[in-house]
Amino acid sequence: MCATRCGLVSLVAAGALTLSACTRNSTPPPPPATSASPASAPATERVVGPLSQEDARALATMNDRLREYVDLHLKLEGILPKLPKEATPQQIDGNQRAFEKLMRENRANAKPGDLFTPEAQPVIKRLLATVFGGPDGKQLKASIMDENPVDPVQLKLTVNGRYPDTVPLTSVPPQVLQTLPKLSEDLEYRFIGDWLILLDAHAHTIADYIDNALPK
Amino acid sequence: MLMRTRHRFSVALLVVLLTWTGSACRDRDAAAATAVVAAQAPAEPTVPLPNRDGSFKFGVLGDFGTGDPPQYELADQMVKLHQRFKYDHIVLVGDNLYGSERPQDFVNKFERPYKPLLDAGVKFYASLGNHDAREQRYYKLFNMDGKLYYTFSPKANIRFFVLESTYPVPEQIQWVESELKASSSDWKIAYFHHPLYSSGDRHGSDLRLREVLEPLFVKYNVTVVLTGHDHFYERVKIEKNIAYFVVGSGGQLRKGNIDRGSGITARGFDTDLAFMAAEIAGDEMYFNVISRVGQTVDSGVVKRRRPTS
Repeated sequence: MCATRCGLVSLVAAGALTLSACTRNSTPPPPPATSASPASAPATERVVGPLSQEDARALATMNDRLREYVDLHLKLEGILPKLPKEATPQQIDGNQRAFEKLMRENRANAKPGDLFTPEAQPVIKRLLATVFGGPDGKQLKASIMDENPVDPVQLKLTVNGRYPDTVPLTSVPPQVLQTLPKLSEDLEYRFIGDWLILLDAHAHTIADYIDNALPK
Repeated sequence: MLMRTRHRFSVALLVVLLTWTGSACRDRDAAAATAVVAAQAPAEPTVPLPNRDGSFKFGVLGDFGTGDPPQYELADQMVKLHQRFKYDHIVLVGDNLYGSERPQDFVNKFERPYKPLLDAGVKFYASLGNHDAREQRYYKLFNMDGKLYYTFSPKANIRFFVLESTYPVPEQIQWVESELKASSSDWKIAYFHHPLYSSGDRHGSDLRLREVLEPLFVKYNVTVVLTGHDHFYERVKIEKNIAYFVVGSGGQLRKGNIDRGSGITARGFDTDLAFMAAEIAGDEMYFNVISRVGQTVDSGVVKRRRPTS
């Protein structure tokens, strides 16, 4: 009874407040913004698995190469002036393009398969097939292909090439990220068409790719 | 039993409030979504918000960075509103810059259209969409502090949780859970780019993301979720006690893209650009959605959720 009465009173009061188009100006005190660091985030977990020893060995070859790549990435980043957390567009653009150039020069001989090693590629494809072969596979694929109806061959994607400015970044569902081998913060998995791309987010370049990675 | 009854009553009250106040404002403003067309003459935006001293006032904008005239025209409405309704924060639900992101693009697609607001000290807090380079997190005027996902509290008892939804690594999911759990704020508002609920023909609901995030929002008492990606405005019917909004209407309209048969729309507007103005006063969040021609196309009140235990 009381709840009903209180509810009705609230309803009337809220409605009256909403409808009263008050135009009083008010100047609230500047609110302090705070932010918490995601640095303390716990380690990831894999949802597909456990891997067979053979698959784990195959992925380890990729992990070794990734480690080398990240070492190079960090070393070259260290050469450049550190981007401030409150940067201007000029600083962001200058830093990104300088880094892109440095990475390209230092990986001049990079070729497909350097990071996604020949041993790891079939395992990655199999992991993706497992994820996309599930009951939600069709929806999962649809969410990746959303805004991604491009033909990677026509785009002439190359290792060390710039990620095309005209192609929006594909969404990568959490279920896929939980399945693929973990990457450091500097690298991201993305899809262009049905190719799996290893994107260097800072250099904005394609570090490596696997063609036809998504099951048909 | 009594708790459950009260809880049910609160939910019902919330639904009734949203429906009733929304309809009331619509009637008053004669701004039915289908009736509002881009050809209308510009008008002063109405302000059916309490506009109280000491309340927290903010704007919501998404999918805006085109640099084209319609974006500028909507920005003009935001400036007009600011003269009467002094919001000092704008949350950005992603796709902040379309196409190239050279320094001049930051100017043409962001700094110039919103200059009067920036000059007035309004702070923009960005999340990243699928068209945004990761380096935007370092851009001073987006206030991301170099982070892809972060949280901030603009006022006591109000906390925003800003997520990066194109690349939701497990670490981020675990991070947001720990942040939500640790927060004792009365108001928990999450915002990010991809909608968990949307009637968009183009994109629609991101079911995979919903599977992961919604249980956390329910468990940790999030009241409001703001998203974009689909290029229109939509208020979704209350889902699991949470008010979901799609505000992807900031610059690049997809006219007629709302699927009216989706069954989840409480209110949709897909005939012109729009932004949201909101005000949190005590246990209520009042909202007002204003189109490029200054029409109020939706209004209502969301009552904050209370912990169930």
